[in-house]
Amino acid sequence: MISISKLLCDLDAEGDGLRYDAAEGSEKPQITDEKQGRPVVVWNTTRRCNLYCSHCYAGAETQPATGEFSTAEGRAFLEQLADYGAPVVLFSGGEPLVREDLVELVSYAADLGLRPVLSSNGTLLTREKAAALRDAGLQYAGISVDGLPERNDRFRGEDGAFDAAVRGIENCLEVGLKTGLRYTITEANAPDLEGVVDLLAEKGLDRFCFYHLDYGGRGAEIVDADLSPREKRAAVKRVADLTLEYHDRGEEIETLLVGNYADAAFLVEYAREEFGEAKARAVYNYLERNGGDPTGERIADVDYQGNVHPTQFWQGYSLGNVRDRPFGEIWEDESNPLLEALRNREERLNGKCADCQYQSICRGASRLRALATTGDLFAPDPQCYLRDEEVRGEGRRSASGGAAD
Amino acid sequence: MVENARRSAVPSDERGNPTPQWEVFIRNEPGDPMRHVGSVAAANATEAHEHASRLFGWYAADVWLCPADSVERCSTRGLADAADERDTETAGEGADRQTDPESDEPRVDEETEGSPEVRDA
Repeated sequence: MISISKLLCDLDAEGDGLRYDAAEGSEKPQITDEKQGRPVVVWNTTRRCNLYCSHCYAGAETQPATGEFSTAEGRAFLEQLADYGAPVVLFSGGEPLVREDLVELVSYAADLGLRPVLSSNGTLLTREKAAALRDAGLQYAGISVDGLPERNDRFRGEDGAFDAAVRGIENCLEVGLKTGLRYTITEANAPDLEGVVDLLAEKGLDRFCFYHLDYGGRGAEIVDADLSPREKRAAVKRVADLTLEYHDRGEEIETLLVGNYADAAFLVEYAREEFGEAKARAVYNYLERNGGDPTGERIADVDYQGNVHPTQFWQGYSLGNVRDRPFGEIWEDESNPLLEALRNREERLNGKCADCQYQSICRGASRLRALATTGDLFAPDPQCYLRDEEVRGEGRRSASGGAAD
Repeated sequence: MVENARRSAVPSDERGNPTPQWEVFIRNEPGDPMRHVGSVAAANATEAHEHASRLFGWYAADVWLCPADSVERCSTRGLADAADERDTETAGEGADRQTDPESDEPRVDEETEGSPEVRDA
């Protein structure tokens, strides 16, 4: 997850203060985020969903699935996460609100010291339910909207889904629950991007997360509906421009990008164009500490059957099952050569990724997209939209050369 | 005298999400032991082998696959057991979450592996 607003707006002071000779010693960047040691865990609590979205990575269905955790198993699973020290559990689905015990599980997670957050389509978030979740300790609700009404409802397979999601967002905001938008950018909905931000910002929303399409679940069936790399670059630029425009007007919206760490490299280039070399270096240094693509390290997924995946999008491969072994044991088991390789991928990346100047802030982006499109786990991500000269670092000093260059 | 491991049967009939899961075993080099490396989702054995080969073919000499629901599993620390214990606690026995101070360590000794005590889940 890359925060555009933090990098381009909140980092102003740091960027101004970070001189070219800063790395010589005394002056450190003020942002202190460290690479986290334990993963954020996405838990697909159910496969059931009241909608049928064309891009669903979980392949959710409107009918209940067998084998979902009972409430007691769910609580025991949350204990596994707490024992391991996972910082955050993201209740996802399917649609997690179809689970009648969601409030109880959120409350139990909070009691265990996990930070409970929610990913929902928002259509079932009544004011009462939002208040109950807030009281249970929910820290954040991310609500999916994928276009203006006509496009969103077609995408989501139900008329009125847009209005219902907006009501859900309003209900969360009214009860004081921190809420954000989740928007998966595809060829079909890219034109609606600014309209959705404008519409929801008017309603008081101030956090907007833009997801790149990954090639798992039903998403794999719509690879052709993904933006081309050129279009993707244009869409990311529009989000960055939009962020600056809002901040220039004094409206401090938070904008984030998820699912394609070519964005990290792009934002360094963007910062250089807009603000100059010092800012570009500040952005680079922050992203380097942030750690690049988190698959298999800082993000984990457990599906409704207990299978553990390297990310929520990688439902086709499981490292193990929490019904058999505790989550922490599975996640720590680097005798699994795939897990070990994902965590040390730099030495295996091939093609243009092998010598890319941005390798340490991108780490090859999505290994799942590379696998799905080439069959090679360590091939370049087909959705890398960097220009050749940006990859090679020609024509200017390398952004990765350190602040002392 | 070494205490027997108190392993319980772990349910394995519903592992598909919803595509059937195939447990994957690999042998790195000839002569190495087989190693379990997770599972792949695939409609049939051929697809499972192709999928596993893309993930591990660069690494392993041998790849074996087994339908996940054909594996009988017995574990000292299955999720269902933990859930059952917790239910018992909340029913009023008042024990701590970690009822056995040694439960972090599987109570099995190589010498006694052939005679485990298996309880129904």
